[in-house]
Amino acid sequence: MAATSDESPAASVDPKLLEILVCPLTKTRLEYDAAKQELISRAAKLAYPIRDGIPIMLPEEARRID
Amino acid sequence: MGDELDKATITKAYARWAPVYDLVFGAVFERGRIAATAAAERIGGSILEVGVGTGISLPDYSNASRLVGVDISEPMLRKAQERVAEKRLTNVHGLAVMDAAKLAFADNCFDVVVAQYVITAVPDPEGTLDEFSRVLKPGGEIVLVNHIGAETGLRRAFEMWFAPVARRLGWRPEFPWGRLRKWAARQQDVALIERRPMPPLGHFSLIRYGKIAPETARGGIRTGVGKPG
Repeated sequence: MAATSDESPAASVDPKLLEILVCPLTKTRLEYDAAKQELISRAAKLAYPIRDGIPIMLPEEARRID
Repeated sequence: MGDELDKATITKAYARWAPVYDLVFGAVFERGRIAATAAAERIGGSILEVGVGTGISLPDYSNASRLVGVDISEPMLRKAQERVAEKRLTNVHGLAVMDAAKLAFADNCFDVVVAQYVITAVPDPEGTLDEFSRVLKPGGEIVLVNHIGAETGLRRAFEMWFAPVARRLGWRPEFPWGRLRKWAARQQDVALIERRPMPPLGHFSLIRYGKIAPETARGGIRTGVGKPG
């Protein structure tokens, strides 16, 4: 609870992690939307959320996209 | 007792256990944890811990290792995230919520995959092992710690006592060792290296599999065409 700074390291995703993440369904590359904090799988038409620095790589938690 | 453990039940159980998990299970699992970390550190490099939970094992790894942790339970991972921040574990490169049977990692990206008390708890143990092998680099190792079904009276007594807790966490105390051996026997590029029962009762086993480069994979498919010599 001692969040003193708005640039807490826990809130950002390590770029090295982003490099190795793929869609759990199609195993294809993801696009990182930094503004929306989402990882987009064009192949599966899903956007996986990143909540407080933790990517949630579950299809049932992802947003459907066109 | 049904064998089907669905993801929702397990996720819910761990959300309930997250606040007290370390207190209750920290000491019970310490021995297996230390052995698993030591086995992983012998290979070193990039290490994936599946079922990282509250991150209790993360401080055990050396600074030189690059760690990634995944778990099905977001509340457990939040605890891990707090631990990483508090202890300034700069070797932890990320935490992510994932289903162990549907890992969201590219092929061949880790030197070691560690999974403690995971394989006997997932709905599809063989499919989950397939995923571990997929994300593992050739030359890498899968390190498991599991409790395997009792073979002696003393162990059985321990299991009888432990079973109600185990079931609530989605484990199968009766999980047969043969399933893990058979999975490895079916793989072209994976070989069982070791099964080591852990003291005091041998209730937990450390299991290591190695991933072999495809061209040196043992036995298997030899057509006889173009065979050297």
